[in-house]
Amino acid sequence: MTAIPVRATRKTRLLPGFPRCMILPTLLLAALILIPFAAPLITGADPVQIAVRDRLAPPSFAHWLGQDEFGRDRLARVLYGGQVSLTVAFVATTLACIVGTLFGLIGAYFRGPFEFLTTRLSDVVLCFPPILLALLVVTLFGPGAGTLVAVLSVLYFPSFARIAFSEALRVSSLDFVEASRALGTPSHRIVLGTILPNIAGPVSVQYSLTAAAAITIESGLSFLGLGVVPPAPSWGQMIRGARQFMSQDPLGILIPCVALTLTIYAINFFCDRLRDTLDPKGALGGGKDETSVPVAAGMVPADETADVVASVRDLRLDLMRPGGPVNVIEDVSLTLRANQCTALVGESGSGKSLTSLALMGLLPGAVRQARGALRLRRKSGEMVDLGALNAKELEGLRGNDVAMIFQEPMTSLNPIHKVGAQMVEAILSHRAMSPSDARARAISLLELVGINEPARRFDGYPHEMSGGMRQRVMIAMALTCEPRLLIADEPTTALDVTIQAEIIELLQRLRTEYANGLSLLFISHNLGIVAKIADRVAVMYSGQVVEEGPAAQVLNDPHHPYTVALLESMPSSHEDLHSARGDRLRAISGTPPLLDARPSGCTFHNRCPIAVSSCADARPPLFVSADGDRQVRCFRAPEAGLEAAR
Amino acid sequence: MTPLLEVQNLTKSYPVGRKGLFGKRMMQVLRDVSLSVHPGEVLGLVGESGSGKSTIGRAVLRLIGADSGTIRFEGQDLSAISSTDLRRLRKDMQIIFQDPYASLDPRKTIRAVLTEALDTHKLHLGTARAERLIGLMEMVGLNPTFLDRRPHEFSGGQRQRIGIARALAVEPKFIVCDEAVSALDVSIQAQVLNLLADLRAKTGISLLFISHDLSVVRYISDRVMVLYLGKVMEVGPADQIHFDPEHPYTAALISAEPSLKHTSQRIRLTGEIPSPLTPPSGCVFRTRCPYALPACAETVPPLRDAGQGRMKACIRDDIL
Ligand SMILES: Nc1ncnc2c1ncn2[C@@H]1O[C@H](COP(=O)(O)OP(=O)(O)O)[C@@H](O)[C@H]1O
Ligand code: SF4
Ligand code: SF4
Ligand SMILES: [Mg+2]
Repeated sequence: MTAIPVRATRKTRLLPGFPRCMILPTLLLAALILIPFAAPLITGADPVQIAVRDRLAPPSFAHWLGQDEFGRDRLARVLYGGQVSLTVAFVATTLACIVGTLFGLIGAYFRGPFEFLTTRLSDVVLCFPPILLALLVVTLFGPGAGTLVAVLSVLYFPSFARIAFSEALRVSSLDFVEASRALGTPSHRIVLGTILPNIAGPVSVQYSLTAAAAITIESGLSFLGLGVVPPAPSWGQMIRGARQFMSQDPLGILIPCVALTLTIYAINFFCDRLRDTLDPKGALGGGKDETSVPVAAGMVPADETADVVASVRDLRLDLMRPGGPVNVIEDVSLTLRANQCTALVGESGSGKSLTSLALMGLLPGAVRQARGALRLRRKSGEMVDLGALNAKELEGLRGNDVAMIFQEPMTSLNPIHKVGAQMVEAILSHRAMSPSDARARAISLLELVGINEPARRFDGYPHEMSGGMRQRVMIAMALTCEPRLLIADEPTTALDVTIQAEIIELLQRLRTEYANGLSLLFISHNLGIVAKIADRVAVMYSGQVVEEGPAAQVLNDPHHPYTVALLESMPSSHEDLHSARGDRLRAISGTPPLLDARPSGCTFHNRCPIAVSSCADARPPLFVSADGDRQVRCFRAPEAGLEAAR
Repeated sequence: MTPLLEVQNLTKSYPVGRKGLFGKRMMQVLRDVSLSVHPGEVLGLVGESGSGKSTIGRAVLRLIGADSGTIRFEGQDLSAISSTDLRRLRKDMQIIFQDPYASLDPRKTIRAVLTEALDTHKLHLGTARAERLIGLMEMVGLNPTFLDRRPHEFSGGQRQRIGIARALAVEPKFIVCDEAVSALDVSIQAQVLNLLADLRAKTGISLLFISHDLSVVRYISDRVMVLYLGKVMEVGPADQIHFDPEHPYTAALISAEPSLKHTSQRIRLTGEIPSPLTPPSGCVFRTRCPYALPACAETVPPLRDAGQGRMKACIRDDIL
């Protein structure tokens, strides 16, 4: 039977935990920073020793990069100049970072006057264009490395304060900070021990960016003669000196420019990689928009009668991992019929959403369909194989023949556009009609889904609506093109019970009242809701459908041990139990397997209360009831009168 | 018996937006809430989102300040004690959060999380420490070898157990459970509820159990308090509130609860929950109450004795 995927063992690395993609930028940056400070080892020349006779001498054995307009050794100058430029930039950045981060942390944690001080002070400094402020201060206090450091740190501390402030504000509102406060941990320990490590990522990215900017400004000021005082070398100084002799001696200007560019490039390269490494979203390969394409099946299932609106046959989905594909959905078959509501139930991670996304042709880029057929009936009555369609045809299908609503309606509505405008856009993208007709249709849809004063709501924004109303709007938008099939993925999970009951009633009503009738694929983990709405139930566990059948039968007389356990573990199934009387709920032991570590044999065997030893050996097949209406994937199903499928 | 926690006339508002140049518009989220939790008792707190449940939970722990009202813990007025004394008292009152992902610092190992709690209150110092950490892990049903792992290596249910272990580390007398099982899958939810039930039996701990799931609240709580728009609608023994609600809002909530047994007809509420910025006059529930009378708009119905240890804030006795 199916072999369990084994994850490729990782190669042991030199530095455990050091991300591989950071190795190159770190080495490059370290080299560019260390080389100037190794100057005495590289050249014995003195960067300020003048040799007027040899001015503008080309490279020679004694002077590898030639000599400048005063006959000074260019290699020594670019190296020692680098020392000055880098020292100024990094000392200033470090000062700005420490001061700014402290300001931000204190402002965000203690709020009140500290917050005012931090934000206003930063605002004031940020008002000035940096180079202007630098010019002003240098003109007032005279040039020199010390002034430069002071100016640059004042210039850059607000950006650190801002980042630290907003990040610390975000982290402070997280529950684990609240938990520390509830424990009575002293404030300074919370700020330095808990909040600071959690904002280190963004602050260190800002550090690299600022260091690069500081090097540029230092060079700029020195170039203008306002930075490092001659004859001390600095890259800006070198460019300034070489500028006058540019036509005679282009090398003179090239050398400091190359040094500057390389350093800034190395820092930016480092920053980019650092940002990707620290940001979990950035590190994920493959954007969300990228979807993988269904595969063609080429066969028409025998049982596909005219009332079938969609069918999934032997679907197998693999998750593409660096170590090879990992099977996450295995042999899932579903048949959705006209005007029926099929509920897909199961715990988080059991594969409910992946199965429904496959039916929309919307699988995430990292998931590939390895086997199986996905077929959908168009409004024209024709049954299409999703695998035979190209991306554009799939897009035409979505919204038109099948539509979807999600758990959190706010994420699917654009907050900056009016509700009506979004609906009209959705209608016009699928239908040729005049804008005023589209408006009338949108308003009638809002009315259909039970929104009071639809004309007024049409001109409102999503944030002006409650969660229940937004979900109604999402349903109205899903219905714009009169699809035959609506997929609802946990549509009421985020809602309060009273609102939830109303949305369920709305969906029930739509099934009968709406146009040509509506089939529902209703995804939920709440068996109580499923009992209210579903005609058929498919129970998923670890990427497989383990039980399927008429809702009333499955929920009242479950055959699969997992379905039994799920129903038993709900407190609402046991209204006679109470914790004060020492009663315990009948919980399922253990935890559901992760999709990428599915057990061998029956995927439920390590939690199953009635497992027998052979359950760990092979995947159980689907057993079918005598009337063919129920299916159970359990070796012990024959004890309930089910038979192995032909 | 004197209550462990006694809250009287708690009110709380949050500033929202600006009013004029300097003034702030205030939104009242708690209106005159009184409650008590006795030693060994579990008080359930139910209500729709935004009704102020979490605000009560944080206010009674003094994680946020209240506008007015008194909070007494073992007879001590929490608003009158010094911050040092409050820090010391925190050993006795803890909190467990809803979101198993946000409630643990991703950068700290489980050992560091539990050690922070013990260090703060100088508990189990020296050699007793290692034993205590192992004991805590076992108490919440986690393998002690996991102590040096970080949160991302755990599932949601396991993280929730870690959150419980953190709260239990300091041997509190009282824990606020703010939707502590709401984010968990049913099978895991039952495990965590059993864990809490075992704790009750073993340690006699008191809980303020906040949840929007009425069946869960009924199973775990001795008494239940129903909140609507920051106002107490009804309080009473859990089974009675669940099977025989007296207040129209409680009845509507319970009838809306999706249950496998299709029992009573759902009581339909009209309209949406009003904004706390513009609460209805009189009874705050009257805009959605199917039994509202003109008199309901006039005075705020007081929370009055309804017999059998129950209280309700409704002027009518002739319904339900
Ligand atoms: N920090 C805050 N600032 C402003 N308003 C808040 C804040 N916290 C909660 N609220 C508001 O207070 C009301 C009650 O919130 P909460 O106590 O979280 O309710 P519940 O826990 O019952 O969902 C809500 O309207 C919410 O938006
Ligand atoms: S096949 Fe065996 S382990 Fe799997 S559900 Fe049936 S009895 Fe339990
Ligand atoms: S006081 Fe009036 S409006 Fe309020 S719950 Fe009672 S009957 Fe309804
Ligand atoms: Mg809450």
